[in-house]
Amino acid sequence: MLCKIAEHAINTPDKVALVEAGHRVTYAQLIAHVESAAGLLMCLRIKQGDRILLMAQKELEFIYLYLACHLMGVVCVVVDSSAPQERLNYIARVVNPVMVFDNRESSDKESDPCRQIDEKRGLAYGCPAVSLSEINRFDESIHPESVPSSIAPTDIADVMFTTGTTGAPKGVCLSHANIAGSASNTIAFIGTNADDIEALALPLSHSFGLGRMRCVLMVGATLVLVNNFANLKSFFSVLEQEHVTGFGMVPAVWQYIKRLSGTRIARFAKQLNYIEIGSAALPVEDKRLLMELFPDTRLCMHYGLTEASRALFTEFHADAANLDSVGRPASSLVDVCVLNDDGRPVADGTDGEICVRGNMVTKSYFLEEDNRDAFFGDWFRTGDWGHRDSNGNIYLTGRKKELINVGGEKVSPAAIEQAICSLGVADCACIAVPDPNGVLGEVPKAFLVAGNERLSFDSLKDGLSRLLPPHEIPVLWEWVDSIPRTASGKIQRLKLK
Amino acid sequence: MEKLVKEIIARVLNVDLEVITDTLSSGDIPQWDSVGNLAVISTIEQELNIEFPLEVLFDLTSVQSIIDEVIKLIHD
Repeated sequence: MLCKIAEHAINTPDKVALVEAGHRVTYAQLIAHVESAAGLLMCLRIKQGDRILLMAQKELEFIYLYLACHLMGVVCVVVDSSAPQERLNYIARVVNPVMVFDNRESSDKESDPCRQIDEKRGLAYGCPAVSLSEINRFDESIHPESVPSSIAPTDIADVMFTTGTTGAPKGVCLSHANIAGSASNTIAFIGTNADDIEALALPLSHSFGLGRMRCVLMVGATLVLVNNFANLKSFFSVLEQEHVTGFGMVPAVWQYIKRLSGTRIARFAKQLNYIEIGSAALPVEDKRLLMELFPDTRLCMHYGLTEASRALFTEFHADAANLDSVGRPASSLVDVCVLNDDGRPVADGTDGEICVRGNMVTKSYFLEEDNRDAFFGDWFRTGDWGHRDSNGNIYLTGRKKELINVGGEKVSPAAIEQAICSLGVADCACIAVPDPNGVLGEVPKAFLVAGNERLSFDSLKDGLSRLLPPHEIPVLWEWVDSIPRTASGKIQRLKLK
Repeated sequence: MEKLVKEIIARVLNVDLEVITDTLSSGDIPQWDSVGNLAVISTIEQELNIEFPLEVLFDLTSVQSIIDEVIKLIHD
């Protein structure tokens, strides 16, 4: 990926690569900033193979440091800075980073950036902390001979943490080849090219947003950073002023756009070459509405996981006869099959577990224990249930893994249950229910068995707000006498509604 | 009314009251994302027993614009 960006810096040095709040960074400047950030890594004695915890920010400095890590063979553990501290601490305990880069301001602005290590602030992570803003104060580029020459495509570039079914997040190891493979598959399918200008309002802490950033820079296009979709007026003015030709969104954002602005977004239809959609299901009627509003825009929806980013794709106009399908393999380098519980292929039309393999599929999780049952040979098991038709289209019919998909965020019911029980509830179980507001797709519902005292739902919500991110807090609550369980103690979620 | 609206926004977004300035806009802080914005709108509607007309939702982009619309709806 970096080689491609470096090529753009040589061939089109004055082309704008990044735009943040009106500030424009050309490809030549981008490479210079990356080399400078690599210099800072060296100065901080962070070396090839070391892991750093990188708090994702929608800021230029984050992108510079992220790319610098790849240049130096440093493993980026990208995390959401707004995640609960307990989760961040868990991730730090697992990956044992040599340093954490966050968005807090350094205490002393006068001294050498290399000395801006805050031992105290990093204590929670077991390593020193440095502010991302130090990158702006460090202007010594790395010498070319200091760049490691032994970085292999199979070396780990990123570790992304994803929701585990048992509650603890799982670290997904992605190699340089994986992230470049996913980007090249996506670029080829969507048709993004160097003339495109993309607005990025998705978070960079997730596979979708980070993947969009990589696609745009790899192809030599322009990426306009937008905080998020909350202020649609502002998002629309970015589309207009920057002549945006593409963007990515999750289905919950589409519901939000519809609710707050109706069909006003259609006035940008002529300028939008593509919209990438993913991370959760989108109702067929919404796909039809998008086709109506954007008759000449490539409406590309992916199916994938952090472990196998953008495995399948569908384009609504081209696949209008199969709008209920999640698509076909993203490229000739990706395979999909449907396997039974023994890992044997089932006939077309028969349900089984959707399994994928290809250039973007992780080789392993960070912890060996998470690799158990994760693969059938070289086939990654998605945990989703479905079948394939005779034309190769894949259809989802259920989910083997017990995860709740809240607006594209995968939530473990076990994690919510553990948090609720820690507040004094005797027993509890959480399931996915349709969002009553029709925006997020699924939301968690909690069934509770009272402990010594029956706590109010408000006090439980209040307690959970300190333990869980907002989207993991149940929307619906119900007291029950007991939680249905199997003889081995496993919750029978299908019996709860 | 201004204080009440700010208190609701702060509570829904789980941030300190002093963060909720008149000029703060949706999207300015990570907590005020699209999901947070929907929660802000629906909680204000429920607790103040009002309903924002669909045509104004697009323009409710800042704390001040929300306060102004709430005052207008209550007076109407």
